[in-house]
Order: sequence, then C-alpha cells, then structure tokens
Amino acid sequence: MSVVPAQQTSGGGTSGLYDVLELVLDRGLVIDAFVRVSLVGIEILKIDVRVVVASVDTYLRFAEACNRLDLEAGPHRSAGLPDLVGEVTEDGARGKVKGALSGAAQTVSDAFHSVREGGEDSGRRRTASRAKKEESE
Amino acid sequence: MSTYVYGITRETTALPKGLAGVGEPPAGLRLVTGGGLAAVVSDCPEQLRPKRRDLLAHQKVVTELAREAPVLPLRFGSVSDDDRRVGEVLTERAERYAGQLDRLDGRVEYNVKAVHQQDAVLHLVLADDPELRALTEANRRAGGGSYDDRLRVGELVAARVKEREQWDAELLTQVLEPLAEECRPGPESSGWFVSLSFLVREAEADRLLNAVGRLGKAYTHLELRVNGPLPPYSFVDS
Repeated sequence: MSVVPAQQTSGGGTSGLYDVLELVLDRGLVIDAFVRVSLVGIEILKIDVRVVVASVDTYLRFAEACNRLDLEAGPHRSAGLPDLVGEVTEDGARGKVKGALSGAAQTVSDAFHSVREGGEDSGRRRTASRAKKEESE
Repeated sequence: MSTYVYGITRETTALPKGLAGVGEPPAGLRLVTGGGLAAVVSDCPEQLRPKRRDLLAHQKVVTELAREAPVLPLRFGSVSDDDRRVGEVLTERAERYAGQLDRLDGRVEYNVKAVHQQDAVLHLVLADDPELRALTEANRRAGGGSYDDRLRVGELVAARVKEREQWDAELLTQVLEPLAEECRPGPESSGWFVSLSFLVREAEADRLLNAVGRLGKAYTHLELRVNGPLPPYSFVDS
C-alpha cells in the first residue's frame, strides 16, 4: 500500500481496461476439476511496490516533497467522516455521477506488462517506449 | 483437444452472436450443457498464456453473455480435458451453480479504487501534526536539511500517510458498503491503497455511483476510479 504510485498518474485512456483484466486474472469461478494455465509473472510487480514503500528512497522523496509544499496555501481540509456519511445516506439517490474518476494508469499498465511478459521473461524490465509500442498492438 | 471454459449460465441462454474466443485465429464458441446449465466453451489453443488479446477475448465473451442472462464468470485460463468433462462437472454441481445464478440474477459488479493525490495528502498530514510541521520548517530553513534530518522527517511522514490510507480506506468502505448488497476486497495489487468490489442490483447502481462522485468532491486528496458494470467476477464462490 502506498501513495507513491499516485505521482505517476499518466491519465492513459486504457487504465480501465487494466483494472478489469486484473479481475479476469484474479477473480472469477475456479473449478477444481479443470486445470488453469500458468500465470507466472503476475506477483512480481506486487512485490516490487511493497519493497519500495518502506525504503530510504521513499522517505527522502517524502521529505523533499514536504520541503517543496507551500504550507501557506493551506491544507485541503476534509469535511470529516460523520458529516459525509450523513450526507450520502440522506441524499443517496439524487445528483449526477461526478468526481475525480482518474487514477494511476501508469502503474497499472506496468503491472499489465509484467503479466504479459510473464511467460517469456518475467524478470526483465520494460522501457517506457517499448511498453508503449506493445500497448498499441 | 482440450476445452477452454469462459463461464456458466442457464441452459436456456442463447449464445450471443458475433463473439470470438481465445487464440489466434480466435476459436469459435459453443455451448456444453448439463444439469440444466450451459457452459460457454471453445477449443483451447496450444500453449495458452495470459496475453492481452486472450484476456480481452475472455472478458468480452463473459461481458456479452452477462448482458443476456446471469452468468458465473470463470477465472481466466480454466481448461478442461474435453467437452464431456465440462458437461459432467455441470451435472455434478448443478445445484450449487444454479443457486449462484439465482443469487446474481440482475446484479452487476462495480470496482472502486482509490489513490492519494500526494501534495494534498501531505498538506493534510502536516496540518494535523504541529511537531512534524516544525521539523519540516527546520529542514527547509536549513536548505533542505541533512541526510539524517530528511530521513527522519520522511519516515514520520510515510507513517502518517499510511495511517491516512487506512483511514480513507475505512471511510470508503463505511460510505459505500451500505449501498451495495455485498462488498468484497478487490485483488491486492499496486497503484492504489484500496480496491473494493460491490455487488449491486443494476437498477440501484446509480446510488453507488452518486456516492462515489460525492466522495470525490468532498475529499479532494482522493482520486477515485470506478469500473463497471462488470460481470460479477468477485462474487462467485468456488
């Protein structure tokens, strides 16, 4: 779990696809009378990220990000949990669908590349341009 | 030739037209029936692996099927020896699968993920902790601070951010869970601090979507991503 990948948001239009394919790979009915094809490579990125979170590099990056912050601009204070729970409960059926529906597409696409190359060479890292090229295939 | 299985539906369901299966060239689909149920299957290509094209084909077949009738999506890559064995499995477990089809009839899955906008969450963390703010100020005045000073601040910040992730994950769960029939955690993965899947009646999906929209507006440090409606991948019980 980390906020680090959030900086890598690239706004790619296909991010939803990766979110869905993750479910296709990781959820769904498993029937023990059938075999499943090998999915080597999927775990690799999960481990990557967990290691990064607790690293010195991460700490230094946080410290530098804090140094750059304009504290005078004031925090984005939240409304607080109880208020919002009340609001949502009372007003559940009205209003339009809105909100910041975006996310860390880059990270997800990295995960996906790691999935796809799993069978060939799961340890190899992709360069951005190569990954991009493959994406358009 | 072994048989690739996409999903299980009721025997009365017709196979949607114009759909193609996994493999290159894409395999033709067919139905195998047993016990009042039908499995959507195709020939399984040699050396099937989780390639983008094949994952998409699997997803498309299950999604199109789910438009027509309730479906139990199989996990990608489920392969049986042959059609006959698929039929036997359907017959042997007919009651269990039929029960799940009833439970999932008219329901869809939505997956919601959240990430933090880093600067916004750092603002929150520093605003809540005067001591941490003072340490940050001291570092800044000292031209960034020594390596040890920066490490110290960074470690404290990382811990606070993690707390914030847990807090926000709980917030999303508390607000959204009551709006769904069921809520299950999404696959553990990188790129977000919480992923939740919700099972909702199709007609009640707007309530969930509206709540997500409102959360995104009220909590600007959160980026929320919604995917759905999806076949109920997370709500089938093996």
